[in-house]
Formats: sequence, structure tokens, C-alpha cells
Amino acid sequence: MTISPRPFVPASTAPAKVAKGPGLLLTYRTLWVSLRSFTVFFLLWWLLHWWNGNPLQLPSPLKVLEALWSLLREGEIAEHASVSTLRMLLALSLSIAVAVPLGFLMGLSQHAEQYIDPLVEMLRPISGIAWLPLALFIFGVGDLLPVFIMFYVGLFPILLNTVAGVRQTDARLLAAARTMGVGRWPLLVHVLVPSALPTVMVGIRLAFAASWAAIVAAELIGSPSGLGFAIEWYRQMLMTPKVFAFILAIGVVGYVCDLGLRRLQRRLTPWAEGTGASS
Amino acid sequence: MKNMTFDNRTSVLVRNLTLPVLLIVVWHIWASTLPAGSPAPAPLKVLQTLGDMLGAGSLLSATLQSLGRVVLGFAVASVLGIALGLLMGSSPAVRENLDPIIESFRPIAPMAILPIAILWLGTGTPTALAIVAYASFFPVLINTVHGVSRVDRKLVLAAHTMGISRWTILTRVVLPGALPSILLGTRLAMGVAWTAIIAAELAVGAKSGGGGSGGIGQMMFVFYAYNIDLNAIVVCMAVVGVVALLIDQLFRLVEKRLIPWRP
Repeated sequence: MTISPRPFVPASTAPAKVAKGPGLLLTYRTLWVSLRSFTVFFLLWWLLHWWNGNPLQLPSPLKVLEALWSLLREGEIAEHASVSTLRMLLALSLSIAVAVPLGFLMGLSQHAEQYIDPLVEMLRPISGIAWLPLALFIFGVGDLLPVFIMFYVGLFPILLNTVAGVRQTDARLLAAARTMGVGRWPLLVHVLVPSALPTVMVGIRLAFAASWAAIVAAELIGSPSGLGFAIEWYRQMLMTPKVFAFILAIGVVGYVCDLGLRRLQRRLTPWAEGTGASS
Repeated sequence: MKNMTFDNRTSVLVRNLTLPVLLIVVWHIWASTLPAGSPAPAPLKVLQTLGDMLGAGSLLSATLQSLGRVVLGFAVASVLGIALGLLMGSSPAVRENLDPIIESFRPIAPMAILPIAILWLGTGTPTALAIVAYASFFPVLINTVHGVSRVDRKLVLAAHTMGISRWTILTRVVLPGALPSILLGTRLAMGVAWTAIIAAELAVGAKSGGGGSGGIGQMMFVFYAYNIDLNAIVVCMAVVGVVALLIDQLFRLVEKRLIPWRP
């Protein structure tokens, strides 16, 4: 029996060559591959459009690009996108302001956790979307409704990740700091916060993803402005190319914000590697 | 230290119940100060409404209709997601070419494609199915790819050395190896799907003037827009929460059953 010096490696075991973090490693190779994929994608789209023959249902890619260009030039996309993004930032800051201190409290004190946790577990399964009718009644159609929905949606990922992050703190570090006579406040600032921050950041990114998905629903139903509203508005006007253009805008803004959060994550917690979550 | 005596356990229970009970009591007191005709929900009225709705059977049938859509859409998405995920995970060429497209669609929320789904499929069940399938496709796909890429290379090499065919390697080595990740993906997907169906039904109800097609989301919208019954809306919200909880527990149970080697 001979042993071949270089065993054939089946495809399934080859290490994934594709970079996990999208966008940041735009080498010529990935650029070329993306270009190729999108060409095929647009070609298929065009064929489907041609076969379908109803531009109200499926406009040609060129018409969509045209609509996108005119909406960009007239500033309509920027207007709606900035409204939505501002609401999102406001809601996310509110969630962070509430969930992070609460998470630290629950992570540090068993009593606090025993008090608060049942309430959290009671509310958490009720999705933000399910609050829409009641919130419509309370806040009416306007700015407050989407902000409330997104605040609620973002609350839980940040809270749970903060609690987990605080709990994960190395007990030896805490003991060492205490032995050296470090006070309560410095212990929090110099040991607990740096240790929990990577997990908190993951929570913030999850919260962003969840609230960005919720904003469309909230604006679609209960707001006179924003990207979600614009999509529905142009559907009712049967201006399908513009509908597609705004859907594209939602994807792009969401992607750019996530990229920004990733950058922030890397900047704030350079010591944490590979804290990618699975969702 | 962690010797749970009886006293200890009761004190934990008391602490656990304090806030929820307090909340309900405050809610009740607040509601009882309102004038008689107020539409604001009150705990006792919510309970009464729950009884009425259960008795009439409307709650159960709406919930079942939504659940049926979720299960169907989720099933389609799982089959597609797992198949494509296995393919992408085991072939770098496929993965490299599809990644740009997948990553571009991923940030587009399921609700964003609802207007298009309505244009294509109308306001009935097909639209709801499409939204659910779209929403649950990505968690399944991404976790499957992730799971396949983490399968121990040595196992695959060993199987290959023993002359086992590609197909058998895929089903006997790669699939079990990726199973924990796949199951996690399906659990996340089911959670997302349940949220998406409520959103889809609500929005279809809102945008088609009540001419939609049932389900618990639509029911909530009718209670909001036509009957103005906030007690019933709270009942629906509670049902949405309970169902979400049950789905999650069911999937955790399945995970425990199917992958006993993982705690």
C-alpha cells in the first residue's frame, strides 16, 4: 500500500476562501467575481422581465436604474433615508441608554436579576411588530410610533448581551483587582466594562439589524415619511421602478450602517476577535 | 453556598413575581380611574375578552391560520436554504459566485419586499407565504454554510481515504457535523418567520382596507381599525408572545433530541 504524499482534498474540506467580513477586502478578484455574478443576475432579471411582459409587475433593470438615478438627483431618497436613519439612531441610542445600565445591574446583582428577569422574559417573545396596533392607538401616526417600535425591538438584544458580557468577566481578574484594593467604581470602569464591551457591541449590532427590519413595517403602516412609507406610497401609485429603487435604498442604508457599526466595533474593542454572531 | 433552602426558594419566587404582579396591579388601578366608556385596556376586561374569543373559536382559528402559513413558508425556506447551504459550503466556486448576491439581499428586510409581493401575488395567502419564506431563508442558509465550513477536515479526509463516495460523505459526515449549526439556523428562522407573518398580515390588512385574508395579524388590525377593541388587541399580543415562546421551546427540544452529544 502506498501513501500518496499529498492527499486529494475534497471540495467540502477546502478552507473557505471568501472573506467573511463583506466589503472590506475588495481585491480585484472579489471585485471581478461580484461583477460577474451581478451581470448574470441582471441578465436573468431582464429575461424574466421580458418573459413576464408586464412592466408594472417587473420593470426592466434599466428602468429601475433610471428611477434610482432620478430619485437620487431630486434628493427624494436622501430625504426619506435621512428621516429613517435619524429615527433609527434616536431609537438605538434610547435602547442603549436603557438596556446597558440595566444589563450591568442584572449582571452584577443576583437580586436585581431575580426582580427584572421575569418581566423581560414576559415581554421578549412579543415581537415589536405585534405592538403596532396598540402603539398606533397610543402614539398615532407620526414620528413617535417608529421610534417606539425600534426602541422596543432593540432593547432585548442589547440587554441580554450586556448581561452575558458582564457575567463572562474572568472571575480571576475581579479577584485580582479586589486583592489590590481597587474600589467599586474603578473596578467597573477598568475591569467590567472592557470585559463586557465586545459582547455589548455584538448586541448593538443585532439590535440594529432587528430594528432596521422593523422600521420598514412601522413606517409602512404608521408613518407619513421614511423609506418604508415611500415604498408603499409608490406601490399604490403603481410606479414599480421607484418601489424597487427604494427597496434598494433600504438595503444599501442598512448595509452601510452595519459596516459603520463593524468599524466602530473594531475601533472600540480591538482586543476582541471573531465576535461574529450567528444570525 | 448554593444550598437552596425552602426559605431561599420562596424568597426567589417572591422576587420573581414582584414586578409582574406590581405591573398588573398598577395597570388595574389606572384602568379603574378611567371613565366607563374608555377604550383603554384593563386586566379584567382583557381576561373577559380572552374568554369570549376562546369561546367563539375565532382566536384559535386565526392563530392556526397564521401558524399554518408560517410552517409552510418555513418548510420551503428550510429545504431551499439547507440544500443551497450544503452546496455553498462544500463548493468554494459556488460560494464565491453566490456570496455577492446573497449578501446584497440579506440587508433588505422582509417587510420591504411586501409591496412587491402584493403586486405579484395579491393580498392572500401566497403573499404571506412568500414573506415568511424570504424571512426565514437567510438564517437557515447562513448557518448551514457556517456549519459546513466548520466540519472537521480530518473526518472528511479520513472518510475520503476509506474510499467513501462524495454523496455518502455529504450525508454521513458533513451533514451530521453541520447539524448543530443548521438546527440553530432553523430555530432563528422560525422566530423570524413568526414575526414576519404578523407584520405581513397586519400590513396586508392595513393596506388593502381590511380585504385581506385572515390570520392573527389581520385580526389585530381589524380590532384596531374597525372594532376599536384594545382589550382584544392585548389578547392577540399575548397570544403572539405565547406562540413565539412555544415555538422556541419546541425547537430547543428538537435540538436536544437530535444532537444529544452537544449539551
